[in-house]
Amino acid sequence: MLPLTFGLGACWELDQEVLDGVTADDIANSTNPNLVNVLKASAYSRIVGSWGAHNSIWSIQEVSSDEMVITHKASDWEDGRQWIKMHQHEWETKEESFNNSWNYCYTAIGEINNLIIQYPDVVELKAELSVLRALVYMWLIDAFGNVPIVDENSTGGNPTNNSRAEVFAFIESSIKDNLDLLSDGTNKYTVNQLTAHAMLAKLYLNAEIYTGTPRWADAETAADMVIQSGKYSLTSDFFANFAERNSGSTENIMTLPYDQNNAGGFNLPMMTLHYLNQQTYNLQEQPWNGYSSLEEFYNSFDDNDVRINSFLEGPQYAADGSRLNDISAEAGDPDGQPLTFTPEINMLTPNAFRQAGVRVGKYEFANGATSSLSNDYPLIRYGDILLVKAEAAFRQGDISDALTYINMIRARAKVAPYNTLTADDIFDERGREMFAEASRRTDMIRFGKWNQAWWEKAQSEPFRALFPIPQQAINANPNLVQNPGY
Amino acid sequence: MTNYLPNLKSLALTIALTLSAILAVNAQSRSISGTVMDAGLGDPVPGATVMVKGTTRGTATDVDGKFTLPLQPEDQVLVISFVGYLTQEVEIGNQSTITINLEEDIQSLEEAVVIGYGSQDKKEITSAVVGVKPEDFNRGNVSNPAQLLQGKVAGLSITRPGGNPNNAFNVRLRGLSTFGANSSPLIVLDGVIGASLENVDPNDIQSIDVLKDGSAAAIYGARGSSGVILITTTKQGKREGATNVTVNSFATLDKAANLIPILSAEEFVERGGTDFGSETDWREELIDDAMSFTTNASISGSFGNSNYMASVNYRDNNGIVNGVGNERLNTRLNLSQGALNNRLRFNVNLSFTNLAKESINDAAFRYATIYNPTAPIYEDTEDAIEDFGGYFQRNLFDFYNPVALANQQKFVEEVKSNLLSYRAEFDILSNLTLSAQYSQDRKNELLGNFWSMQDYQVGFGAAGSAERITRDRAQRIFESTLRYEIDLSDKLNMTLLGGAGMQFTKNEGFRARVRQYLFDQGWNNLGGGAIRVGNFTEVSSYANEDQLNSLFGRANFNWDNTFFVSASVRSETYSGFGANNQTGIFPAFSVGSDFTQIFDMGLFSQFKPRVSYGVTGNLPPSPTLALGVFGNGNRIDLDGDPLTQNDIFVGIVQNSNPNRDLKWETKKEFNVGLDFGMFNNKVTGSVDYYTRNISDLLFNVPVAPGAPNPFDPGRFNTASSTWINLADLRAAGFEFAASVNQIGNGKLKWTPTLNFTIYDKTTIESLSAGDLGFEELRFATPGSPGQNNIPIIYNRVGENLGDIYGPRLLGYTEDGQYILSTTKEDEYEKLGNGLPKGEFGFTNSFMYGQWSLNFFLRGAWGHDLYNSYRGFYENNDPGAVTWNSVITDKTPTNPLVVSTQTFNSSYVEDASFIRLDNAELGYNVKTNSANLSSLRIYFAAQNLFTITGYTGIDPEVRTNDSENLDAFTSALSPGIERRNTYFQTRSFTMGVTVNFK
Repeated sequence: MLPLTFGLGACWELDQEVLDGVTADDIANSTNPNLVNVLKASAYSRIVGSWGAHNSIWSIQEVSSDEMVITHKASDWEDGRQWIKMHQHEWETKEESFNNSWNYCYTAIGEINNLIIQYPDVVELKAELSVLRALVYMWLIDAFGNVPIVDENSTGGNPTNNSRAEVFAFIESSIKDNLDLLSDGTNKYTVNQLTAHAMLAKLYLNAEIYTGTPRWADAETAADMVIQSGKYSLTSDFFANFAERNSGSTENIMTLPYDQNNAGGFNLPMMTLHYLNQQTYNLQEQPWNGYSSLEEFYNSFDDNDVRINSFLEGPQYAADGSRLNDISAEAGDPDGQPLTFTPEINMLTPNAFRQAGVRVGKYEFANGATSSLSNDYPLIRYGDILLVKAEAAFRQGDISDALTYINMIRARAKVAPYNTLTADDIFDERGREMFAEASRRTDMIRFGKWNQAWWEKAQSEPFRALFPIPQQAINANPNLVQNPGY
Repeated sequence: MTNYLPNLKSLALTIALTLSAILAVNAQSRSISGTVMDAGLGDPVPGATVMVKGTTRGTATDVDGKFTLPLQPEDQVLVISFVGYLTQEVEIGNQSTITINLEEDIQSLEEAVVIGYGSQDKKEITSAVVGVKPEDFNRGNVSNPAQLLQGKVAGLSITRPGGNPNNAFNVRLRGLSTFGANSSPLIVLDGVIGASLENVDPNDIQSIDVLKDGSAAAIYGARGSSGVILITTTKQGKREGATNVTVNSFATLDKAANLIPILSAEEFVERGGTDFGSETDWREELIDDAMSFTTNASISGSFGNSNYMASVNYRDNNGIVNGVGNERLNTRLNLSQGALNNRLRFNVNLSFTNLAKESINDAAFRYATIYNPTAPIYEDTEDAIEDFGGYFQRNLFDFYNPVALANQQKFVEEVKSNLLSYRAEFDILSNLTLSAQYSQDRKNELLGNFWSMQDYQVGFGAAGSAERITRDRAQRIFESTLRYEIDLSDKLNMTLLGGAGMQFTKNEGFRARVRQYLFDQGWNNLGGGAIRVGNFTEVSSYANEDQLNSLFGRANFNWDNTFFVSASVRSETYSGFGANNQTGIFPAFSVGSDFTQIFDMGLFSQFKPRVSYGVTGNLPPSPTLALGVFGNGNRIDLDGDPLTQNDIFVGIVQNSNPNRDLKWETKKEFNVGLDFGMFNNKVTGSVDYYTRNISDLLFNVPVAPGAPNPFDPGRFNTASSTWINLADLRAAGFEFAASVNQIGNGKLKWTPTLNFTIYDKTTIESLSAGDLGFEELRFATPGSPGQNNIPIIYNRVGENLGDIYGPRLLGYTEDGQYILSTTKEDEYEKLGNGLPKGEFGFTNSFMYGQWSLNFFLRGAWGHDLYNSYRGFYENNDPGAVTWNSVITDKTPTNPLVVSTQTFNSSYVEDASFIRLDNAELGYNVKTNSANLSSLRIYFAAQNLFTITGYTGIDPEVRTNDSENLDAFTSALSPGIERRNTYFQTRSFTMGVTVNFK
């Protein structure tokens, strides 16, 4: 026993093994040739993540705009008034959705930085990751503006804010400096040269908002690079781009490859459908009856515009064709118990009717869908690039070019072409085309509509054009300075 | 632990025999003979000393308890004594034969107190340690060792809200000492550190000792912060040279109690509820009186240097809801054998337990309360029969037929655990003992979860789903100690203990879930589920292994039984600490003095003030927290083409960033106490006051994602949080315990025992470390519908832990709308706190001849609870069309409130309570049978009544939030009674205990 007692010293130095995961050291020491691909895939998987979920960056972009709302339905969806405040532009700095969006972006950036450090010599990888990081910064510059730039060269502790113009310059150089090293293919799930041009087009389109200096010509040039490549075309069926099996779309330039089994997080059926619609699509779970569109926005669609089918409107049926009946419908609901989505919503809060509001029907809800869709989410779409081209031309006074491109979009929507063009026409067309693609807020700001009043929303102050830096992020990093006005 | 009893006994015998020999020389004409019996058991007592009072003449009883003693004319009184019994004096008179019944001396049994790595005389104890013996345990159907102690030890809070027999007890000593590392005291079972409670049946327990303060627990170092509970099982027979066979068997009837009043079907419709035309009392449909059965049998014996105890314990516990229950078979074998004239001693303790539990979805309790009372259970429509097995279901939000829910989802768990412990002790010298103990504690859990394809809540959408989970835990400990005891002078005794230990823990498990079945085959045929990826499916496994090395030492000094000093230190090296902080040192010191040895203290027979200070720690709950391990992310198909599968990978994600500095939590505790005895120890008790400071708590703290990681230089934060040590908590408390031993002169004897604790609730002094941390932490949203975004439990720096915040209800408008103090979250007020100001337990034990009556009152005061049923289902709001409403004593009815239910002060209720926790009436049947030594019949009742103003299900303290499964934040959100709480139960037990000769 004595030797046992005193022989313990031999194994006193302890090394914690990890049996069911890997550590940063494991990654650094691995010689597996597939690892780099897996890691790159992981970086991409970050941005697939929660984009399409509730309480996400998609949610704040949509619900703060005039195309989407989450009404407060008595005991449902009060949710600390977060979505009421979001609609009325009275959000506070601590809203959970802001923090989710911030973390969504910056955890991806951290992972990308680590990956670049790890493979400093693989120039193509570094180029691709730098452009991917620029994509994430495009979300940050749009939502939060003055955000810290953290790249692989950052050192020290907590970063400080950069100005929005600095962030703009960083994004621009990240894309331009690396563009030539990117793939010249058309893979929708990774960034390539054409994706990079499309990103630049969208970035320059908003340059005036981001930096104070318009860059319309650059936006047009970048859009032209995409258009003239000839690699993309408008699909004859608008909704093919949003279908469950949309990976073959000739129009989607970059998508988030959601998959109900492999890559969950696109929860739209849960978010927008009425509880009873579970029977319409034989959904695996009961929906939450949250997101709907606004009457005025719905009315901006012509009845013969094919895109009006982006909404679920009117009587609702079960998969077997029987009428759905909501026995808990409010006594005052003029539609009574038979489930009917009406464009008109009786109020924002506190007792919005359960059935009120047309729902988001742009993305196909496959029969038997899970809470996560398998539809790939179009981050960048050729239709959008055509509208960027049209708007950039219009802003430079080239109305005829603008009409050409905007009418391509209208033709596909089976509506009459424009003969003349105003800024509002472009704004409205973008609204109809880009509904539920997280574009409306950016467009409203660029077209000067953001602070106007709309349904159940008063005029808001100009500083609301930027979301606040989330209070939680400031708590975690006291070096951060809040955006003006908050 | 050394057993000194045999030695004492042989010493007594030797003396007695010598005396007899001397006496025999002076043979006398008169003598007295007799038998010494155990009054309780009716067994003879061998080895008892029989002396003539005032002389040195005496003898010892033989194996049959018989003695013969020559007398001299002046002899008048015999004094009969034996260890463990009250000494008795008997008038000789003219008797020549005599029978003496010795009463057990309960006080003296308490003399030895088990402390870590040994035992100590109670008089020498200088820290807050409480021993509890079987006669003090709770009565009735108690199947969990923790329940034995509920309310019995000041400062030890043991709770299990609701009556679910499968739920574990929350055990907390002196309040919360960690956020989530391990808030329950460390269990040390027969010297095995960290043993699981499954390994011991309450029936086999000889004593439980609770190390309350920091100095007592510090010998367990980095595992001692939440206190330590030492459980000692029975190792030997009650008498030398005899065998005991004991059979104890009882049956228990459980009934539901204290159901919250709800509207009848008629009243529901009157209020505008949807009328489905039927009438169902859903709770009646769900509940049934339940019978449970328990049998314990044990054999024990002591023969020379051999001792043994073997037992089998069978418990079949059924809940008041069909489908809830557990069945448990435990076997124990404790063997010890001495060799080399008992200088070398071997112990083997083996315990094997099989436990099978079955459970239902607890949401059934909620729906049974609030489901539409006009709905039928079944409906005879083609759709219902085809889709839901005939059960009535409607597609409404949060609306599931509770009977269907209880029947169409099943959750079972089989636990197989065994504890093997081997110990050898060798007396190198008579005062130098080397010991070594090796133990292996294994626990395997096999779970099965099943959702029928006709289960409307999950199974219907999933087309039937089933899951198998297995979890395996193995802990191996090797410890060795060297103990040296010496009298340094006439008056100064010193005991030194040194030791080293190694602990290896391995956890691993596997989990698989599939869906879409053709038949409801459940977990027995996972292969029958067609879909194995995606929603409602799972394939995963985990494993982790860690090592903890310890060195420890302790010195105890006893100066003339007057001054006592103890000092100890333990160093712990743990593989799960960060590389920069691998070893922690945990010192302790305590001192006490019995003033009755120095001064004349009048009534006091003991008056021992003591002071102690100790540092303890808490280990990270997972050994890889410091490493920031990467886990699995999405599966990614790089080209998006499902036909090519060689480009599909599972990404990696880091859920927390590495922290090379991560270390143990630290608790520093100061304790002053007083142990007292009065009237020759007729009254005994103790008083303690403690203050504790807890720092370096482990918490996953938000950091700047994407920024360079200061805890792992050279890398970036890829997660938005890092595990760090932070925060400072301060708590204090006052504890009192006293007992009066057997009041009353005649046949009726009353032993009251009271203990209470007054807490100075935990104050949060800081929630940060450097730049990182929080000003406040908010948790616990009441839930869906409508109340799922505003947390109501605040933990603010400078305030108490677990304050309840919300708007204050100022009143109602005439038409029944709330008038709230504010709708802004920033203006919420403190509405209460879920942790109690104090707790008490009051035991009363009465003896009257062969009768015994024992009842136990327990309670807590000064804690609040959010009554979720009222908070969601009280108003006549739009929800009342769908859900039934509760009508408690606190429900406003004139006018009915019509506001949409939102959280406010009116739902936060004072939940102070007094409960008649258990009572037992027992009768010892006198027996002259050649085979029976005793026969006891008893009736017990549990939870007979509760006095409280609380109108929810159970006013019991909620130390944790039952709906928050994150261990780290669950303890930070006390005070919410969730809607899924199992109903309270009231139990009636009838049993019999037989001791065979």
